[in-house]
Amino acid sequence: MSPPAANASPRRVGLSRESGLLLLLVVTVVLFRLLFPVSWQQFATFDNFASVVRNMAFEGILALGMMLLMIGGTFDLSVGALASMVGVVTGWLMKEAGWPVPFAVATGIALGAASGFANGVVVAKVRVNALITTLGTMGIFSGVALLIGGPGITFLPPSFARLGQSEWLGLQAPVWLLAVLALGAHVALAHTRFFRQFYYLGSNPKAAYLSGIPVERLQMLGFALMGLLAGLAGIVYAARVATASSTIGVGKELGAITACILGGASLQGGRGTAWGALLGVLFVALLQNMLLIKQVRPEWQGIILGAVLVFAVGVDSLLNRKQSR
Amino acid sequence: MDAPLLQMRGMRKSYGGVEVLKSVDFEVRAGEVHALCGENGAGKSTLMNLLAGVVAPDGGEITLGNTRCAAFAHAHAAQTAGVGMVFQERSLFAPLTVAENIYAGRQPTRSWGVIDHAQMIRNAERLLAETAPDISPRERLQDLSPAHQQMVEITKALSLDARILILDEPTAALTETETTRLFDLLRRLRSREVGIVYISHRLEEVFQISDRVTVLKDGAWQATLPTHHTTPDELIRLMVGRGLAPSPPPRANTVPAGPPLLEVRRISDPPGLASPCLQEISFQVREGEIIGLAGLAGAGRTETALTLFGARRSAQVLVEMAGQPVSLRSPSEAIDAGLGYVSEDRKESGLFLDMSLRRNVSAASLTRFGRWWFDDAGEKRVAEERRTSLRIACRDVEQDTAHLSGGNQQKVLLARWLQVDPRILIVDEPTRGVDVGAKAEVHRLLRDFAARPGHAVLVISSDLPEILSLADRIYVMRAGCIAGELSRAEASEEAVMRLAAARQSPAPLPSSSQDRLA
Repeated sequence: MSPPAANASPRRVGLSRESGLLLLLVVTVVLFRLLFPVSWQQFATFDNFASVVRNMAFEGILALGMMLLMIGGTFDLSVGALASMVGVVTGWLMKEAGWPVPFAVATGIALGAASGFANGVVVAKVRVNALITTLGTMGIFSGVALLIGGPGITFLPPSFARLGQSEWLGLQAPVWLLAVLALGAHVALAHTRFFRQFYYLGSNPKAAYLSGIPVERLQMLGFALMGLLAGLAGIVYAARVATASSTIGVGKELGAITACILGGASLQGGRGTAWGALLGVLFVALLQNMLLIKQVRPEWQGIILGAVLVFAVGVDSLLNRKQSR
Repeated sequence: MDAPLLQMRGMRKSYGGVEVLKSVDFEVRAGEVHALCGENGAGKSTLMNLLAGVVAPDGGEITLGNTRCAAFAHAHAAQTAGVGMVFQERSLFAPLTVAENIYAGRQPTRSWGVIDHAQMIRNAERLLAETAPDISPRERLQDLSPAHQQMVEITKALSLDARILILDEPTAALTETETTRLFDLLRRLRSREVGIVYISHRLEEVFQISDRVTVLKDGAWQATLPTHHTTPDELIRLMVGRGLAPSPPPRANTVPAGPPLLEVRRISDPPGLASPCLQEISFQVREGEIIGLAGLAGAGRTETALTLFGARRSAQVLVEMAGQPVSLRSPSEAIDAGLGYVSEDRKESGLFLDMSLRRNVSAASLTRFGRWWFDDAGEKRVAEERRTSLRIACRDVEQDTAHLSGGNQQKVLLARWLQVDPRILIVDEPTRGVDVGAKAEVHRLLRDFAARPGHAVLVISSDLPEILSLADRIYVMRAGCIAGELSRAEASEEAVMRLAAARQSPAPLPSSSQDRLA
């Protein structure tokens, strides 16, 4: 079996973006330790770690789907709104319509997949640009969520809440779900023929088509998988807080795209790994956690995160340009 | 004899050591249509790019009216001196209006740089009245037909006080009626003492419109003749007569062709949609054969190949493989049916440039490496084998294909399709931009492929010597149709050019040559 490094599109001699981000992450943590020894006591605890990974589960699940799409050269802006909508619909089904929890959950997941598939059909078959398509469906999904759930549906049944609150080895269910999905995504992207096709699609769609790769089918399936994951994320989050909020997903699609790009994806497509998506989300979550511990005002979080994103991608681009000469 | 309006003397240009223009002289008189003829790569476009200031010459002198200089420093200088070029790919802005296009970058303004739209439209109307009165300056360019767009471009050139107008293949996208209208306009311009350079592959048009004709071959001047003193045959001889250029050895004693492998009964485009519109294409490929598909740029060769390969879904296709009708609605169906296609533009639609050589080699045969779990080791082994057998020069099989040489990139593409092992391999311009050594290797590969039992090759090439040396039979295409078929014995550059360049229409050809044109 080839080493994991060869599983991404192997393109350069130096650091891959994934290892670069890992390095940045380690440096950030070490700096934090050296600069703020007192806060470090608060940071380096299992409880804090558990809360960091719990908070990243939602965006992590979205980022895995987004990574698949970005490898294939596209992206989906509607996933945050879709997660909200699926959460609210699932909550409404069990609370207002009185459906049994498993049926409501299954319906919610199916709704997520179907909505994603609809995005895919419009992008692949009707050939509307993905930005426009998913910008439109983002509006639709968030509108539907508000229509059905108002601000949110509270006090969901305990049997449902258990899905998101039960713990194992001190970590909550959403974290384990993320771990399982990430492992699955890694195996799929690195080792299966089917998902490998997404790299070809993203690298050169024309050449992929002329090589017999089913370009449209891959796009539709990618969006459907993304929708399914968004639905799952929305349901698990609703279960964890026993409330289906109509606005939980606001801005989360951009968070997922940010994480993927930090983790090695490119808007041009053809690049990225599941591991990179996970690392991107973890990096953002850790950074936010540190800022929280240092009681930095939340306004600064956006500023700092934005600067880190531009800095990281800028350095990568400069290094790359040098290498290719 | 009036003094020439434009004189170019001793124009020279080399690209990377290859001389594409060898001290060419060219002149145009006021009120003359001067045709410029030659094969693909003869240097016509380069010569005109020098004149338009787009390309800097290595030597020579240009005299235009009272201006004499070594070269126009840039396109704007040429424009100011009075050279207007109508580009092969139009240089207009589709979403803008006709008036905005004509006055792009120099709109009439009022104070503070505010565009005076009313003035601009009035000016444009006045200009269009002379060239194309049925075009409104308020129309958006994208709503106009190709012919009208071209009229707009000509109008724009004239509005810059062009005294020399260069038209590069102006009729490539035009219908017969539109061509007639264009010619009417050119005749009117001629009477206004504009000098017109007319580049065209279509000899019939050359005889219809031009006063004199200059022939270039391999970057060298061949002849300048008054059009009414020459014949299409003479021009073709001047264009292709190879003289010293060594032509590659023909294919060694050909294998007797086997049973029919591919029978294209009919490929047609729905009328009016595409240009060129394919009409009733039919041909046959037998086992063991290398079939050449020749023709000028835009004759529909690549479109035919793409249709056959399932990549142009609108066309109607009736095809049999080894006697069985096959469905070819997508490239993957075509691959299943036993076809392979090496595309014309390897960077644009062939290679995955940011992916490694091994990934590029396996791209069209992924299922061979496992339907579910992908066999990385097998993929690497296969890539290594192909790298060795095709002698692809690279660091290792993990190297990106972006920085390989053209020849090696072409070999990577061939490796991809050899790995698929189709029964018929279609190769489109297999050696464009490839050095001589790699070219010979590619030719050897294609011959070996066709020689294997049950296989055949279909070669599309604009390089006539290449097609002549490779092909057992040649189909020549012209304007979306098969214009004729040539056996190896019949095939020559002249025979191919005659089929490719002529057009059956009541053109005022000298009677002596009329019967010889198909």
